[in-house]
Amino acid sequence: MTNFIQLTMFGLSNGAILALAALGFVLIFKASGVINFAQGEFLLVGAYVFYAAVVVLGLPWYLGVPAAIAVAVVLGLIVERTVLRPMLGAEPIAIIMATIGLSSVLLGGVQVLFGTAPKARPEVLPSGSLAIGDIQLPWDRVVAVLIAAVALTAFSLFFTRSRHGIAIRAVADDQQAALTVGISVRRVFALSWALAAATAVVGGILLASITGVAPTLAGFGLVVFPVVILGGLDSVPGTIVGGVIIGLLTAYVGGYVGGGLQQVVPYVVLVLILLVRPYGLFGQARIRRV
Amino acid sequence: MTTATATRTGTYHRSYRSDQRLVQSHAARVRLLLALVVLLALPFVLEPFWLTVACQAGIAVIAALGLNILTGFTGQISLATGGFLAVGAYTSALLTQRAGLPVPLSVAAAVLVTAAAGALLSLPALRLRGLYLAIASLAAQEIIIFAVRNWEFVTGGNDAISLPRLELFGFVFRRDFHWYWVILVFAVLAVVTARNLFRTGAGRQLMAVRDQEVAAEAMGVDIARAKVTAFAVSSGYIGLAGALTAHYTGIVTWERFTLEVSVLYLAIIIVGGLGSIAGTVYGAAFMFLLPAVITQTGQRLQSSYPSLIERLPAIQIMIFGLVIVLFLILEPRGLDRIWQRVKGTLGRWPFRY
Amino acid sequence: MRRKPGTLIRTRGVAALAVAALALTACGGGDDTAAGGGGGGEPIKVGVLSDLSGATADVGTPYAEGIRGYADWINSNGGIEGRPLELLANDYGYKVPNAEQLYSQYVSEGVVAVQGWGTGDTEALRQKVTQDELPFMSASYAETLINPEETPYNFVVASTYSDEMRVALKQIAEEVGDARTEVAVFHNDSPFGTAPIEDGAAYIEEQGYDMGYEAYAMPAGATDYAGILSQAKAQGAKYAIVQNVSGPGALLARNIEQQGLDMTVVCLVWCSDQGFITTAGQAAEGTMMVQPWAPPTVDTEGFTEINDYLESTGSSMDEKGLHYSQGWYTMHVMAEGLRKLVEDGEEVTGPALKTALEEMGPVSTGGVSADVEFSDESHRGMSGSGVYKVEGGKMVQVAESVEP
Repeated sequence: MTNFIQLTMFGLSNGAILALAALGFVLIFKASGVINFAQGEFLLVGAYVFYAAVVVLGLPWYLGVPAAIAVAVVLGLIVERTVLRPMLGAEPIAIIMATIGLSSVLLGGVQVLFGTAPKARPEVLPSGSLAIGDIQLPWDRVVAVLIAAVALTAFSLFFTRSRHGIAIRAVADDQQAALTVGISVRRVFALSWALAAATAVVGGILLASITGVAPTLAGFGLVVFPVVILGGLDSVPGTIVGGVIIGLLTAYVGGYVGGGLQQVVPYVVLVLILLVRPYGLFGQARIRRV
Repeated sequence: MTTATATRTGTYHRSYRSDQRLVQSHAARVRLLLALVVLLALPFVLEPFWLTVACQAGIAVIAALGLNILTGFTGQISLATGGFLAVGAYTSALLTQRAGLPVPLSVAAAVLVTAAAGALLSLPALRLRGLYLAIASLAAQEIIIFAVRNWEFVTGGNDAISLPRLELFGFVFRRDFHWYWVILVFAVLAVVTARNLFRTGAGRQLMAVRDQEVAAEAMGVDIARAKVTAFAVSSGYIGLAGALTAHYTGIVTWERFTLEVSVLYLAIIIVGGLGSIAGTVYGAAFMFLLPAVITQTGQRLQSSYPSLIERLPAIQIMIFGLVIVLFLILEPRGLDRIWQRVKGTLGRWPFRY
Repeated sequence: MRRKPGTLIRTRGVAALAVAALALTACGGGDDTAAGGGGGGEPIKVGVLSDLSGATADVGTPYAEGIRGYADWINSNGGIEGRPLELLANDYGYKVPNAEQLYSQYVSEGVVAVQGWGTGDTEALRQKVTQDELPFMSASYAETLINPEETPYNFVVASTYSDEMRVALKQIAEEVGDARTEVAVFHNDSPFGTAPIEDGAAYIEEQGYDMGYEAYAMPAGATDYAGILSQAKAQGAKYAIVQNVSGPGALLARNIEQQGLDMTVVCLVWCSDQGFITTAGQAAEGTMMVQPWAPPTVDTEGFTEINDYLESTGSSMDEKGLHYSQGWYTMHVMAEGLRKLVEDGEEVTGPALKTALEEMGPVSTGGVSADVEFSDESHRGMSGSGVYKVEGGKMVQVAESVEP
């Protein structure tokens, strides 16, 4: 039983970070229809900027986090302007390749600036463990789940309650109608990329604080795909549910089955969902019109 | 016969026979002949480092052709190139090593097996399109690599399979010089057959599927069959490239067939030009020459900037990404289009248009 | 006047192609000397493959710097009997295709030997170096490389991974005495990681230890090892032997501490270093380390020259870590073989170097490790390892050299 609870803890914390990263992905897709293969690298940039702020420059975390978010937002805006704007209306494969190219640029850039050796971990999350009876729950994971939950709730509220959030949803639904109502589609695109970068950064900061800062963090971004497909490409609650499910499933398979199977589980889930219910658990079925 | 003026205004034909030729104009024939001469001369003038690059690029042409057939001509995005290369390589390696099959047979078998695997894997993918297909192929790639790394009984798992040097009729293919000819023959064959494929009805059906699937279906094209054919043919080419890699390098490890490799091949066909056979060749040459040139430049600059050598791979990654992004923004139809524009300008000169 | 069709294009085409062909032939052949000068004799070229940016870069970088440092140092001290050592060094990023490209480049530039790095490139180039007759030393200490009948041109300078595993198991057996215990081996998911596993199981059988023995692969890029640790816990493991580099090893140690598991971590060569201790922090206390190469905390003569050299460049052994001296002395062993050839007035070629390495007798590293000696029957340089314990954030020597 203790094993189960511990695995659940680890699974939840990974799942929460996944959900944060996936949220940014869904955001960009909903608003501008772009598939962002560079989401993992946004995570990476966030982690490294935070590391630079907190470990290299020695700033306290309440300055480091806004600094990282600010850098990420600027990055998101620049990317939207220089790479995505010229590619509006291009074929899906071109946009996919553009974001893949972008991911290489970011990955290479981070390595050029910081080198490839793993760096010292920013010690911002509390260490030690919370002991409940026989169970040891590492504090950093518990706090990570709480922070992620807060961030996810904040974003959900933003989408449903705030004006800008609703504007984003409007543009995702029907660009032309949104334009006629007076919503600036350009601003919405920029905003969605900036927000996506911000969520990825928060996820990156959490990830770096738990496991350390290394270029391999970007690999986390690949698992985002099973999450969004499972949850539904255009559904925010779906993403959260998808992230949690994949995180838990991976942890359980790793703990109870082993043999490295946990690495491939997200992709098997992905294939199954595509066969059975391609729009995901919460996604909307699209009818293709000619 | 083309019109005999210094400024060509077009390619005109006066007989069906000349219209149906593979190479359509006199100038193109000359260019092709020159290219052939250069290719035949290369191994005698190139230094070993560049000859290795040439051999690697040659094999890449074959795989990239396969991918272009699938993605450029049939419109099915695939991130699973690495996985199919692995299938081809391991099949050929295992048949040679464990079943004692002579190499040419094992290579042929690898092509067939990979084509079958491609056809099989395409069945669940028939319903998917665009992004979903891309993601499904990503999943397939990761699953194939996982299977290779863990199916130890068959593939040796994480360990590399070591193959002896290729030996045909007592002649040992030891150096790049020897392999160059083998690779050249296969590459030329692959290019010619691919080019021919799209002059046939079957090839046109594939392009119809890419352009407007619903209209194609309305016209009587069997979409499912066309897609499965595309996957099978494409996988066959990729399997051939994989088998050649296995025997050329003599080492088969899963590390050669990762997602990065799939991305590289997508980059090759985008940079070269989607839906263009010649573009595939340009793209492969470009994407293999570029890192080699960067490495060599880095080595030369090493004495002035010693720390550069540490950053070199990261710089290569950045330049790789930049090349893709710049091509997509500035010339999304790739090197092939650039070459067409150059030809057009030259042909029309001194007129502008 | 009517020009023949296509003449213009044809002429331009030929011109362009000629230029291209010329350019291609002019390319290539980068000459990068890491150490020039040092005696006026003809340089001896050695190719070096390093991982400065790939999966093992954290330990590959100081190792590569050690090799270059040695070459620099020896060239400023007269070279090898008057002939400078010229290194052709490049980063291959732990990617085998890059290693192959660089290897063929080195061969064409006339190297007489190669310093490799990882199991991947060593394996990949094994056949080629045998056919090209180039001695190949690397930091891959796999036991499959020590038999000259199978791999005549591979030389393993330090004790093999299997030797280290045996020493680790021996130490564990000593600690527990007659009681039964469970051992879990956590390894890198690669040939490097799996190298010592079977030999470890065989050793337990041979020695008649009462030990349970299970191996768990550490997935690359994992953010935590909760999964495999819970399986090890189910096994009841008391000892966690780590065959991986220090980054993942440290993460494992921290996970063990966080989960409050009662497991002693035992590191083999590639995670027994200061890097592990720094990254693991508090979790590193009490870790046992099996390391054939002494850390700078051990006061021995072999570090004197290195420290003098490093001081002149503004650094020190404490800063670089033990993998620096590891690279340094690995290059030293090869240089001693070269020195023997030059002293005997023989031509410096691959096969001659192979024989020289086998016949030159023991090479001392000034106490940084056991003496290195090859023979024509064994290319295993040494078999013993030092054993250390982490106390107060430092590696404290428990035994100088334990034989398996």
